[in-house]
Amino acid sequence: MKKRLLSVLLTGCMVLSLVACGSDDGGSTAQDSSGTQTTQQDTSAAQDTTEKSDASGDEAAADPTNGELVDGKFAETRKITVEVYDRGNDDGSDPTNNNYTKYIKEQMLAQHNVEVEFVAVPRWTEVEQINNLLAAGDAPDICLTYDYPTVQTYANMGGVLDLSSYVDDYRDLLPNLWNWLGETNIYWDKDPVDGTLWAIEGKRAVTNRINTFVRKDWLDKLGLKEPTTRQEFEDMIIAFRDNADLLLGADADKMIPYSVSFDVGWRAALLIESFIDPDVSDYEYYVNGFDDRALTQNGTKEAIRVLNKWYNDGLLWDDFALYSSGDSTEDDMIKAGYVGAFMHNWDYPYRDGENSIQTNLQRMVGPDAKFVVVDCFEDIKGGHNKFITSSAGDRKIFFPTTNTEPLASMLYLDFISSPEVIQYLQIGEEGVTHNKLEDGTIEIQAATGDDIQNSGFNIDYTITCNGLHLVDDELTLKSMAYSYSGIDPELVEVAHKVCNTDTRPAKNVNVGAIAAEEGQGPTLASKRDVVYDTAVSASVEDFDKVWDAGIADYLSSGGQAIMDERAEKWKATFGDTTALPE
Amino acid sequence: MKKEGKKAPVAQKKQSFGVYMKRYWQLYVLLALPMLYLLIFKYVPMIYIQIAFKKYSIVQSVWEMPLAANHGFEYFIKAFKNRDFINALRNTLVLNLLDLVLGFPVPIIFALVLNELVFKRFKRVVQTIAYMPHFLSWVIIYGLALQIFAPSTGFLNMILTGLGFESIPFLNDSAHWVGTYIFLGIWQSFGWNSIVYLAAIAGINSELYEAASVDGAGRFKKMWHITLPGIKPTIVVLLVMNLGNILGSSFDRPFALQNNLVMDSAEVLATFVYKNGIKGLQFSLTTAVGFFQSIVCVIFLLLANWISRKLGERGIW
Repeated sequence: MKKRLLSVLLTGCMVLSLVACGSDDGGSTAQDSSGTQTTQQDTSAAQDTTEKSDASGDEAAADPTNGELVDGKFAETRKITVEVYDRGNDDGSDPTNNNYTKYIKEQMLAQHNVEVEFVAVPRWTEVEQINNLLAAGDAPDICLTYDYPTVQTYANMGGVLDLSSYVDDYRDLLPNLWNWLGETNIYWDKDPVDGTLWAIEGKRAVTNRINTFVRKDWLDKLGLKEPTTRQEFEDMIIAFRDNADLLLGADADKMIPYSVSFDVGWRAALLIESFIDPDVSDYEYYVNGFDDRALTQNGTKEAIRVLNKWYNDGLLWDDFALYSSGDSTEDDMIKAGYVGAFMHNWDYPYRDGENSIQTNLQRMVGPDAKFVVVDCFEDIKGGHNKFITSSAGDRKIFFPTTNTEPLASMLYLDFISSPEVIQYLQIGEEGVTHNKLEDGTIEIQAATGDDIQNSGFNIDYTITCNGLHLVDDELTLKSMAYSYSGIDPELVEVAHKVCNTDTRPAKNVNVGAIAAEEGQGPTLASKRDVVYDTAVSASVEDFDKVWDAGIADYLSSGGQAIMDERAEKWKATFGDTTALPE
Repeated sequence: MKKEGKKAPVAQKKQSFGVYMKRYWQLYVLLALPMLYLLIFKYVPMIYIQIAFKKYSIVQSVWEMPLAANHGFEYFIKAFKNRDFINALRNTLVLNLLDLVLGFPVPIIFALVLNELVFKRFKRVVQTIAYMPHFLSWVIIYGLALQIFAPSTGFLNMILTGLGFESIPFLNDSAHWVGTYIFLGIWQSFGWNSIVYLAAIAGINSELYEAASVDGAGRFKKMWHITLPGIKPTIVVLLVMNLGNILGSSFDRPFALQNNLVMDSAEVLATFVYKNGIKGLQFSLTTAVGFFQSIVCVIFLLLANWISRKLGERGIW
């Protein structure tokens, strides 16, 4: 009897699990097929609109949406999903559900009758994560990435919607988007040959890039001046090393005069760039410029030789290569006050309010401790050649082919580009996240709970805008220095000024898709880091050998093919000239 | 006896499946669940192995993808022309062989030693402590390794430099790294792997030991002549299975432990596939690599099994 009961029970379980599996399966197939269907419909709809606007000209252009919108609103509620970076901050708010996402959701529903849902993607593994989502057909309707070759790869597989017809046909519906990004950023990635547009470039409101930070209190203690040349910088870090006992006392063995991470190309960028000829031609800079850390530019090797010497002289952090991206060990050491100098994003130690490096440093070391910006890496012409970024080159926004709501998605981009929305998301509510000074300057306050901004100025939500951008331009400039809660505005002003001295803005070289770059982004980037890391930590005698072997490996793994194709396509587009047409 | 034994299965075969089904249906139902699991999670995904022979696209179904060049072998050719792949192949082989040669005997020795312990409570404590690392994730183990072995901040190196010695590049020099990798691997798994041997030892008839004692055999004699032969079948089975995995590699161990300075000896097939496939979107290439890996593993498995049977052991089937 017992046995029978047991078997009946087990059979019951089996049947249940079978049913569950079956329905699961059925569900996913249904979803799949509907996905493909809608995509097909979608493309045909897009074709329809283009055909129509071609055929009947003005009439169709008046209403490219075929009456889908009434007063900018859909008759029926539409639903879109939007990617948002999850930075995993210690005390952050939920990136998919906080007071800012609530604001966005409410506004989108009210303005366009579109329901918005956020999909969190880890910031430090964004490319991998998006790859997985795309391959599974689950990618958000609005995707973003910093890596254009990745978008190109998806596009070549047919996984990305061509945005060219949407931005043009819906132009009248997207005033904010066009006003903010302009033709420069919208058409930045448009293929000059076939006119396809796989991604729209978000815009940098601030094109500041990198600064060198040194411990001002240490300089004062040792009676040193802020360095203005590379030699003085070297003398300074040597002085830090030799006076570790004075500067750190019992922690002297933890002294790191100058800290770089595994990402040498970024964390020594100003040193590297100072070795690149300031008069380098657009052609040469472009052909050698696939790697965004300047690995293959002429001059980089000599810069790394300097770092290699410093490493062997005990001036760098011995363990720099052992910690990978997203690891906070180095930041923690800087906060604890063991680090004398470092290079990073132009405002790095001032970011993150209560959690910023500067605030932590003062808390742990004392009120005098601070990082100031210096400008000390002179180039061969005596200037301080800095390659600042262009307004583009920030995040690229693209729609995967699983996006069945391109119009609603475009409206979202328009919404998120409107000056008022950007301003609200960046500075939040008065009294909660900011105060107004007498002259109207906005001063950012540290927020708590659901008002915490996980990224500076909420750039993770203002996907078309990176950097402070208030409705009033003048106010923006004044407020920038006050936008770092708990930080002396003067420090920020200096940082802003220094990284805008002697700059060379990046130019857009668009000669069409480079086939050799396809799928190479992440692979070559990790190779690049290996070359940099092994070269920096080689012995001085081995430096040439290690560097040359690393570069040879990089080039033969696809780097050379990219250079060759870039050179060839440049010639095809611009001819023999080595300068971009103005 | 033998004849009867042979006859019986023949007679059984004659009975139809239906009869069995009727009589033992509960057992078949019980069997269905694991079978279903295998089918859904192990066999259905195999459909996608054909990506190795096709030009991958994220939007097409696997049946629609066009065949790759060179009769579909484009990506295998590409892989073998890729120095990184050859490098990863070499590293996988070397690391796994070292693991096998150095790591395989450790749990056996440990089990033998543990078996000799008379004080039961001590034995249990040791055993439990030895198991523990098995439950740590490799990310945590790397964190520990950094605390202990890092060149400037590692505990061990701080002691060494404090005593006036040079610090040892456990993690940032290729040769040293291989040593660290193998050591951590053995440390993490030997306790857990010894369970099987301990179970096998427990199954040995204690009368044999008593008889040996009567014959005047000492500890080592007993170990050599009774315990070891007693667990030999277990050793062979595990050896065959390990050999079958000579080209396979776990992902988390090398991935967590590797760093940019030792990539020339730390990149293995699993991490190569991750970096080029998942990160680099070269799904076809990396599926080809995975497929190749599986085939080599199967060949090794069959070979090892055949050899063990030739040597008079049971093998695994």
